[in-house]
Amino acid sequence: MEDLKLKLKQQIIESLNLQGMEPKDIDDNAALFGEGLGLDSIDSLELMVLLERNYGIKIEDAREGRKVLSSVQSMAEYIQLHQKA
Amino acid sequence: MADRIVVTSLGILSALGLGKEAHLHALTRGHAGLQHPQFLKTFHAPDCLIGEVRMSDEELAISLNLPGGNNGYTRTTLLALFAMRELLQGVDESLLKDDSFAFINANTVGGMCSVENMYFDFISNTPEGDFLKYIDTLDCAESTQNVAKYFGLKPMMATISTACSSSANALILGARMIQQGVVERAICGGCDAMSRFTVNGFLSLKNVAKNPCKPFDQNRMGLNLGEGAGYLMLERETDAKKRGAEILAYFTGYANTNDAYHPTAPSPDGAGAYRTMFQALEKANLQPETIGYINAHGTATINNDAAEGKAIENLFGTQAPYFSSTKPFTGHTLAAAGSIEAIFSIWAMQEGKVFPNLNFENQMEELQIKPAAQLISNVAVNHVLSNSFGFGGNNVSLVFSKV
Amino acid sequence: MKPVYILSSSAISPQHSFEPENFLHPVKSTDDGKLFVVDPDYRQFINPVAIRRMSRLIKMGIAAGMNALKLAGLEKPDAIITGTGLGSMTDMEHFLKDMINMNEEALNPTFFIQSTYNSVNGWIAVQSKCTSYNQTYVNRGFSLELSLLDAQLLLNEATEREVALVGCFDELTDEYFIVKNKIGYWKKQLPQSRHLLKESNTVGTIAGEGTSFFTLSNKAENSVCILHGVKMIQSPTSAEISANISTFLQQHHVALQDIDLIITGMNGDTNFQPLYQAALEHTQPHTTIAAFKHLSGEYPTASGFALWLSAQLFSTQTIPEEIIYKRGATTDIRKILIINHYILNTASLMLLSN
Repeated sequence: MEDLKLKLKQQIIESLNLQGMEPKDIDDNAALFGEGLGLDSIDSLELMVLLERNYGIKIEDAREGRKVLSSVQSMAEYIQLHQKA
Repeated sequence: MADRIVVTSLGILSALGLGKEAHLHALTRGHAGLQHPQFLKTFHAPDCLIGEVRMSDEELAISLNLPGGNNGYTRTTLLALFAMRELLQGVDESLLKDDSFAFINANTVGGMCSVENMYFDFISNTPEGDFLKYIDTLDCAESTQNVAKYFGLKPMMATISTACSSSANALILGARMIQQGVVERAICGGCDAMSRFTVNGFLSLKNVAKNPCKPFDQNRMGLNLGEGAGYLMLERETDAKKRGAEILAYFTGYANTNDAYHPTAPSPDGAGAYRTMFQALEKANLQPETIGYINAHGTATINNDAAEGKAIENLFGTQAPYFSSTKPFTGHTLAAAGSIEAIFSIWAMQEGKVFPNLNFENQMEELQIKPAAQLISNVAVNHVLSNSFGFGGNNVSLVFSKV
Repeated sequence: MKPVYILSSSAISPQHSFEPENFLHPVKSTDDGKLFVVDPDYRQFINPVAIRRMSRLIKMGIAAGMNALKLAGLEKPDAIITGTGLGSMTDMEHFLKDMINMNEEALNPTFFIQSTYNSVNGWIAVQSKCTSYNQTYVNRGFSLELSLLDAQLLLNEATEREVALVGCFDELTDEYFIVKNKIGYWKKQLPQSRHLLKESNTVGTIAGEGTSFFTLSNKAENSVCILHGVKMIQSPTSAEISANISTFLQQHHVALQDIDLIITGMNGDTNFQPLYQAALEHTQPHTTIAAFKHLSGEYPTASGFALWLSAQLFSTQTIPEEIIYKRGATTDIRKILIINHYILNTASLMLLSN
């Protein structure tokens, strides 16, 4: 789980081009959107692409997407639950 | 008082067919033009519906007396040629012989429908092949130039690309050029053919509905795309009367404003849409209560309908005029939507009808108003408002008035 | 229509153009047929949260647009009008190739959004909080010219002082170079770009890119120069270009011998050189003739570089050696005529004075 979260943080930084940030700057439970990292709706779509490309996970429902993408912790949990074997 | 701008000829092609008769037939009977794509070869065909024009490229080309196969004409241009041919049937050719006439076209992805099938040939080491006929077709002006060339016209040309409001902007530019004496008449409108690029683009934004779209419905799930072309000829009232032309409508008001909010999402309170409609009415010198019908942008995305609905309610009050989105009939035809829906708005006045907002079932929680879910006949519609809102916050409203 | 006044201009080009202190110095030259822009520090002009997703052209356009506003001392214009021949090619190529390679699955929305031709406009509107008129023309060699015409219409319609931000942007990509090479856009033997015009005996030219933005007003106060008008000529013959120059100058009550400087879009291609020769046939010894595409390269909105150059020259009153094609007797720069031709059969004229 810790490895997954670290990898996820690296992928988030790369995919969203969060220049100057390192994995340790992102708290597991910090909100990715709004007040937290200040990401917007297009970033959330980019994160869904990240999940689909790297973990084979497709989120169809926008409301479910919002829940899954709320923090690194929630993303990691969702990946563990749904990743194809 | 300045000479009024009038509409004197129309040409339209969409998933509902070609011309007025075919369109009114479908619009009044509630026959939607959506289908799983048959001509567009896309991986997503089984799970998306689009407003596809019911003719293959080959059939379009033959009907236009063009050679079949890789003839260098993109589907975008073929659709535009069809609509333009219809418009020109009612126009004396001698009127369009000099540069006192402008052709103002609008388009979102040019000939992408062709280019996307040969792009790797474009960038390969292969120096020659049929693909060369399409090598200059990617940009938006390709259809503008080819339409003029096909009909032997040498007008002043302009091509606008402001996403989903493009052809509404073309109409505004035409009116302004006539008012300032740059040209005497202008043919304005837009065209867009379905491409995999566009389908996948909207899919990447996750705002495409699998089922027929439900504008202004609480349970709306996104839009259906569409293709088509629509053109309107504009001129001064006195010029039209002098040559005895039939006046189809007055083009009385317009506004172009920007949300200045976000690249793709509208301002959630509908402030941008409100400002655009308000300014268009102001330009037309009309009070909100005089509007008999609003052809809404109504894409059936969560964001658009919430913002547009609130804006309509704020401007017109809870006793808003009849409004509907006709996108469940045609799909969202993008750059062509503004001109196609301007034509629908003019027909609504001519026929005294409000075309239904198909698939509406559930009242939106945040609104008190609701769209006209059924066809309404025998209504006096004296003024119509037609909305087109695009990416980049580009909002346009047009006002037409009855003759 | 009444003329309009240029208050400020800003360009990002293959030459030193963005920072005023090193105007065209030193001249940058390449030998691979591609002139890419000198990138300024974009972070000074773009919202830091937004910049991370932006591609090159989007950054170029926003920076030049915001800088033109800054140079005019404005926060918010009354309109934003732009022209581009190609839009963001990088984003278009990225999305298109991903779509094909990944069989239409898991595609990045950012590339799609930014490939939309009006995305630069949208961003400038967001950054300058400009909620008024916003327009984008995508019409090959007329993209900038149509924007200028629209601005002129708008400023003539206005009853009070208004300022429109008008600009153009186009980018060069390696793929675009390959694609257009197949239909003979570029020279087979590529010269040092700064010597392009000495190689005017072969077909083809060199590729370039750039962005230029201008603030235009209907009132003369604080203006750098006057833009009297823009003329677009579709598919012109040599005779038509010459005839159009005569009528265009007549319309603005200017005689050919009064023109101090003619800036031409000569691009070293023998196919198009006759058009310029015909256009320049009647010029007087007084007039200096200049060229710029050996500095900017060829692209659909290259005339924007010439317009930016003109605005600078009215201020400096010196014509840099590097742009002179034929020196005339003139010592002052009071009237400039720009004559540009683009590969896809368009020509345009612009008349300026100080």
